[in-house]
Amino acid sequence: MAANATPDRRSMEQVIANGLYLGAQYALVALGLTLIFALMNVLNFAHGQMYVLGGFITYWVYGRLGLPFVVALAASAVTLAAVGAAVEVLLFRTVIRRSVREESTMLLAAGIAYFLDAVILLLFGEKQRGVPKIVMGVFDWDNLIMPYDRILVGGLAVVFIVAFMLFMQYSRPGRAMRALAQDRVAAQLMGVQVDRYSMIGFALGALLAGVVGGLLAAITGVNSGIGGPISIKAFLMVMIGGAGVVGGAIAGGFVLGMLESVGLTVLHSYGDITYLVIFAGLMVFLSIRPQGLMGKPWG
Amino acid sequence: MGLGMQSSLRPGAVIGVAVYVAVLFVLVPWAIAASGRTDLYYTLTSVALLSIASAGVWLTFFIGRINIGQGAFSLAGGYVSAILVARAGLSFWLALPLAGLFCAAVSVLVGLPILRLRGVYFAMVTLVLTEVARLLALALPITNGAKGMVSLPLPGGVKLLGVTLIPDFATLATPNRAFYFLSVALMSLCFAAMYRLVHSRIGRLCRSLQQNEELASSIGVNIASLRVLAYSISSFFGGVGGAIFVAVSQSIYPSSFTVNDSVNFMLNCFLGGLGYVFGPMLGTLVLYFGWDLLFQTGRFQLLIFSSILIALMLALPNGLLSLRPFGWRRG
Amino acid sequence: MYGRSGLLRMAALGAIAALVAGAFGGPAAAENPTLKIGFVGVTSGPAAAWGTSNVRSMQTRAAWLNEKGGVTIGDKTYKIEIVTFDDQKDPKRAIAGMEKMAQEGIHYVVGPNVDDGAAAVRPVAEKAGIIYFPYAFPKTLYTKPASNAILGMVASYQSGPAIYKYLRDHKGVKTIAFVAGNESDPLSQRDSGVAAAKALGMKVLADKDTYETDTRDFTPVLTPIVKLKPDLLVLSGVAPANAPLLIRSARELGYKGLISTETAQDAQVLKEGAGDLADGFISVGGASTPEIRSATMDEFIARYTKMFGEYNDESNTKVYALEYILDTLKANPAAIDNVEEFKKTIDTFSAPNPFVKGNSTLHYVGMTSFGQKRQVAVPMVVNEYRGGKFVTLFVGSVD
Repeated sequence: MAANATPDRRSMEQVIANGLYLGAQYALVALGLTLIFALMNVLNFAHGQMYVLGGFITYWVYGRLGLPFVVALAASAVTLAAVGAAVEVLLFRTVIRRSVREESTMLLAAGIAYFLDAVILLLFGEKQRGVPKIVMGVFDWDNLIMPYDRILVGGLAVVFIVAFMLFMQYSRPGRAMRALAQDRVAAQLMGVQVDRYSMIGFALGALLAGVVGGLLAAITGVNSGIGGPISIKAFLMVMIGGAGVVGGAIAGGFVLGMLESVGLTVLHSYGDITYLVIFAGLMVFLSIRPQGLMGKPWG
Repeated sequence: MGLGMQSSLRPGAVIGVAVYVAVLFVLVPWAIAASGRTDLYYTLTSVALLSIASAGVWLTFFIGRINIGQGAFSLAGGYVSAILVARAGLSFWLALPLAGLFCAAVSVLVGLPILRLRGVYFAMVTLVLTEVARLLALALPITNGAKGMVSLPLPGGVKLLGVTLIPDFATLATPNRAFYFLSVALMSLCFAAMYRLVHSRIGRLCRSLQQNEELASSIGVNIASLRVLAYSISSFFGGVGGAIFVAVSQSIYPSSFTVNDSVNFMLNCFLGGLGYVFGPMLGTLVLYFGWDLLFQTGRFQLLIFSSILIALMLALPNGLLSLRPFGWRRG
Repeated sequence: MYGRSGLLRMAALGAIAALVAGAFGGPAAAENPTLKIGFVGVTSGPAAAWGTSNVRSMQTRAAWLNEKGGVTIGDKTYKIEIVTFDDQKDPKRAIAGMEKMAQEGIHYVVGPNVDDGAAAVRPVAEKAGIIYFPYAFPKTLYTKPASNAILGMVASYQSGPAIYKYLRDHKGVKTIAFVAGNESDPLSQRDSGVAAAKALGMKVLADKDTYETDTRDFTPVLTPIVKLKPDLLVLSGVAPANAPLLIRSARELGYKGLISTETAQDAQVLKEGAGDLADGFISVGGASTPEIRSATMDEFIARYTKMFGEYNDESNTKVYALEYILDTLKANPAAIDNVEEFKKTIDTFSAPNPFVKGNSTLHYVGMTSFGQKRQVAVPMVVNEYRGGKFVTLFVGSVD
């Protein structure tokens, strides 16, 4: 093992490609979470479950019913948007209005996470699921091996990220949501319909989770139990980048992707302690720089 | 913010304490004996231990911090007592407070840098802390790593001048009942201590922290040490809870306390009510027992449980105790 | 608001009263003679597949036996009732589950599924007189002074050496690399695997690579290992959900060697998750392949599929525990509420194995590994995944 402790050039290129691919999907997961957090100060514990639900919808529509992958992805997006809107209107809105401390929404979010976990387990079973590959073949070029489906999914993730940013930057609802995220009261005074855009924001956040779930069903499949771990991973990315900042979520996603990819290779010879080093490093980083890479201090 | 019961000892409060003691130490054991449901000893022991750890989390809420890291201290406390008992041959009754003190000491070191963080930032760092603790337990040689520590002895007896103060648990016919009394007694002590603390001068200062840290510091309160103090008490509770759990199961693994536990401790506080000292106790009881009772519903257990949780949140977003079932007033 | 909050308060107090009543009420006594068999294990969360295949195997078999009129033990015929408890993979919950089983008067429990749970329930099981069948490998559970646990499958330290030896002798495997989840069970299995490989004179290229068990993309984990080009890559203690992902990542990174694991897997999961890339993947099962299994096993699979919509190949191993319990009770009816009688019967017990063709028997083993018979004899069928199905590579046994 010691002989391979220092990665040569070939593996370094592979490692960076892995990290970029991982980063693109992580960023997309983190975006939805950070959007909801920015708009409503809700840490959505159910984000991972929404991802899983999106994955299973794609699994059924594409894998079982045999419809085109794009249709499946759209089905995941629409369903999750509806779920997100319903969750905001029926549940969060009431609880936020009536609770003394806004952290109370954490219990509600956790309740929803459990609920979705239960529904998903009952509907889709306990087994790991996968779908036929969307594109066959492997890109094998000199120093780098990457299956075409990964390249496609990574590319799609980037497209969705850009689309989301353009939407937030230039569309009317996007502008309204940014105003809301900056200063809720001021936005309200300026005539932004808070209720309406909270709902749209929540729906959009859930939609993003559903889309990533669907996208990744094509690569890593989907499994009813992974919702919780995905949520926690998404929290980490959001924190690395800076909570509630769109750019931060993207940066956080890519940093964590790179950290995993590079860390696992560089620390390969230390084996067991790789993750200990990553997590301990993360704690130190967050203690020194709580606002993450680009967040506002204190969120 | 509300702070639970009023601080002066009204006759009502005296009656309340008397009823509490009677229920926990007389009525429950009697009911268990009468109904033959001895499995409830363990269930209630769990509730008591988890609510001790949750009480610690509540205390960090009290200084305005969302703590999702209590699992780390329960795990640490568990390992410290297991190591002291199994490797150093120490009596469990000495190992127990040492486990708590160890956690308190660690929390001072960890707390100094991280307690400056607020809101979700503190929450996330503590969440990572839970994972770090698990990975440390896997990696350190003294913990026996992945293989865990098993076949730990039950707590031994304590004799003073020939009088048996605490019997050797291994000789008891129902060690579970002994664990129940131990846990419930400790839980009562912890909550009494917390109640005193909350209604002391320090408690009032903490409350001011919760509302406005800048203001509190401007009137000359040493915020940093106050926060560290509260956090170390919190971690002490976590460690003690973990240590007793390990004594009950006579084994400990790196997965004995996980992120799930950390999250649950926090949820217990929310459910009971963040504004009430006794919130975590009630929250733990309802969450744990609720799950246990739904055991009959088989595969629908989680579905029903989560639906009830959501409904409760909708009806009582400020916790169960916001109903003031016994006429408690908010402070 | 007074009316509303007053109403709510009454409702809440009522609910608490109901909770208390429910807690102390206890279950109603059954009229027909019913034999309750318990299950304590994980049926939700990421590892749900492990316990679910246990529960469903037990429920399928119980329903089938009940349909045939029940099980005759001694001079009484019992209906079989399966009582299940989801411990959520939390050892603290597992203890509660075992307490619950004791309370229900159950003496035979299948589970828990993982090391920490199995260790945690031990004090309860020994105190309450319960024999339990964990799917966990720590030897302390099965060696003296422990005597109430019976290993429900073939342990990794038993199948591992057999697999490595076979591959060394038949496929020329010389170098081996291990990758394991960062959790107690997989890490322990890896350590025993490394020791076995070294004992066989194989060269261990990697023995420290781990992944977080919630990893979804294993390419970063496998990139450095694939580069070492081992002849055999062992996925120690891999969860069925992760196996196809690991296989797919390794193959797509250009890994050409063999891949194996010592745990039971599911063919459908491999097919969906890795497709042709999983061809040649080696795992262990009980009555996994058509060459091995009997007509009874085929009917079991058909009934399972009918009841739950889809079969799980992990049940090829997990079908056994209930059968062992019932057949041992038949051999010694006094054991029905006395596990000491059960323990006496263990040493001499032998009955035909209904799930496997030929003259195979159900009997207890474990002398070599544990110094006492505390393991069910499941045929150690080492299979290879090929084209969506398992095919037999070789059949071994444990003593």
